[in-house]
Amino acid sequence: MKPDSYLPIVILLLGAVGFAVTPLALAWLWAKNFSPSKPGHDKNSIYECGLESTGDSWVQFNPGYYLYAIIFLVFDVEVVFLLPFATAFTGFGIGECLAMLVFILLLIEGLAWAYQKKVLTWT
Amino acid sequence: MTLEPLKLELEEKVPGCGLEIISNPSPSAQHSLLIDPEHAVAVAMYLRDAAHLRFDYCSNVTGIDWPAPNDAGKAKLKDMEEDLEQDEADCATAGYLEVVYHLYSMEKKHGPVILRMRTCDRGLRVHLPSLVSVWRSADFQEREIFDLFGVIFDGHPDLRRILMWDEYTDHPMRRDYVEPDDYEYEPTAHDEVLRKTMNHYAK
Amino acid sequence: MDEGLKSELSKQGVVATNLQELYNWGRRNSIWPLNFGLACCAIEMIASTMARYDMARFGAEVFRPSPRQADLMIVAGTITKKMAPQVVRLYNQMPEPKYVISMGACAISGGPFKQGYNVLKGIDRYIPVDIYIPGCPPRPEALIDALMALQRKIDAQQLTGDSRPRHLNADEPSEFTVPKFGAHDLEPPQNPVVWHAPLVQIALAEDDDSGTA
Repeated sequence: MKPDSYLPIVILLLGAVGFAVTPLALAWLWAKNFSPSKPGHDKNSIYECGLESTGDSWVQFNPGYYLYAIIFLVFDVEVVFLLPFATAFTGFGIGECLAMLVFILLLIEGLAWAYQKKVLTWT
Repeated sequence: MTLEPLKLELEEKVPGCGLEIISNPSPSAQHSLLIDPEHAVAVAMYLRDAAHLRFDYCSNVTGIDWPAPNDAGKAKLKDMEEDLEQDEADCATAGYLEVVYHLYSMEKKHGPVILRMRTCDRGLRVHLPSLVSVWRSADFQEREIFDLFGVIFDGHPDLRRILMWDEYTDHPMRRDYVEPDDYEYEPTAHDEVLRKTMNHYAK
Repeated sequence: MDEGLKSELSKQGVVATNLQELYNWGRRNSIWPLNFGLACCAIEMIASTMARYDMARFGAEVFRPSPRQADLMIVAGTITKKMAPQVVRLYNQMPEPKYVISMGACAISGGPFKQGYNVLKGIDRYIPVDIYIPGCPPRPEALIDALMALQRKIDAQQLTGDSRPRHLNADEPSEFTVPKFGAHDLEPPQNPVVWHAPLVQIALAEDDDSGTA
């Protein structure tokens, strides 16, 4: 292997880095020469809806949101598996049917657990 | 809906309540029923729940400011209304605030029945019972009246200012409200605005 | 560079420019407005970005939902005194260079609600306004005209020298006083750095019903 066979890759790499860095460098130069930085209390504030933020951002959220979303996601994905199952249903043997049944039963078990834990009810 | 039989019925069903029919001589002839604050909730409950009345919908709550006749006369509008209800304005010497409820019945398809309540004066004794417990739709409108007129509704679940900010101390819909002097040039000032202009430049 | 030579060159497919022109050309063709409306004028503002009026032709279709990414604030509608601090704070949160179009009678002076106890008599009491559009509400054509006027204004800005715009001058402020909610009115009722009461000669007679003369 000839030593300069990596040269095109090095050139491409330089081009890629230059593509990213050059605008940033130009913007920095521009700001330095022409456009002064003007930070301020309002401009540096975190919240950007015109209102002053009050209180602490470290507040507790109800974990119910999270569990609800997870359960939704599980059953959403389940549908993806059920669809090919439904289209090929007539050509199945007993083995495939059992495997699919176990898959669904596992998920139903999870739903029953969530229901029993009262995750699905909102107070 | 005629008010005389309703008044007699209410006096029978809610013992001790003071009722008065205030007639409206204008073409609309929407007469109203003045109720005393002590029995207001009981009267309202009866109007809502009685099987043949069923006033289940409070469409509108509004406020009126009646200043004492001697320090009134500031606004033209006042004069007009005074002509309409001359006897009413004369009876009070200290002035009062008034709250008006418009009631309809969705179920029986009749209405409106107009209820009025009056405060003792316009200063400190401005408490009236809240009717939110009877009609939930009165919630925001009573807050608005609290904000703009300064009527304090006892028993309101959340009596805060609704239109103006919390730090505000005035009640802008009162007739003696003095607005801040931030006059700005108007090319065609007239009437009230012209008066404001002159006051501004007089300073 | 000579203007005649420049136009002759551009006919031959050669573009001659300088840094200032390039800078202004870039800025004036990518004015991103802040995505907010206060009242009915906002409906006209929305209409002017839709297919029929198509503000995208002027590079201003990207309505940003955050003041951090916006160049232009279109104050479209009545500013109530309760809303005024929020508007000023949003303006403060926009990065330089920033421009303001005061759209409609209400944003200019309070409009039909001028004598109301709850309405601010024009947003120019608190923040500097570049373009005013009269109308109640102004038609989308008027907003597009205002945008083009703003583009002309940007095009004429100097990069250096004493007449350079605010955002290139380190001594000029980028933030303006946010009014506080007071007991009777906003405090202060206007920002004296930005706004002065118009100086007019007013002769008042006691019974003069024609108003000011």
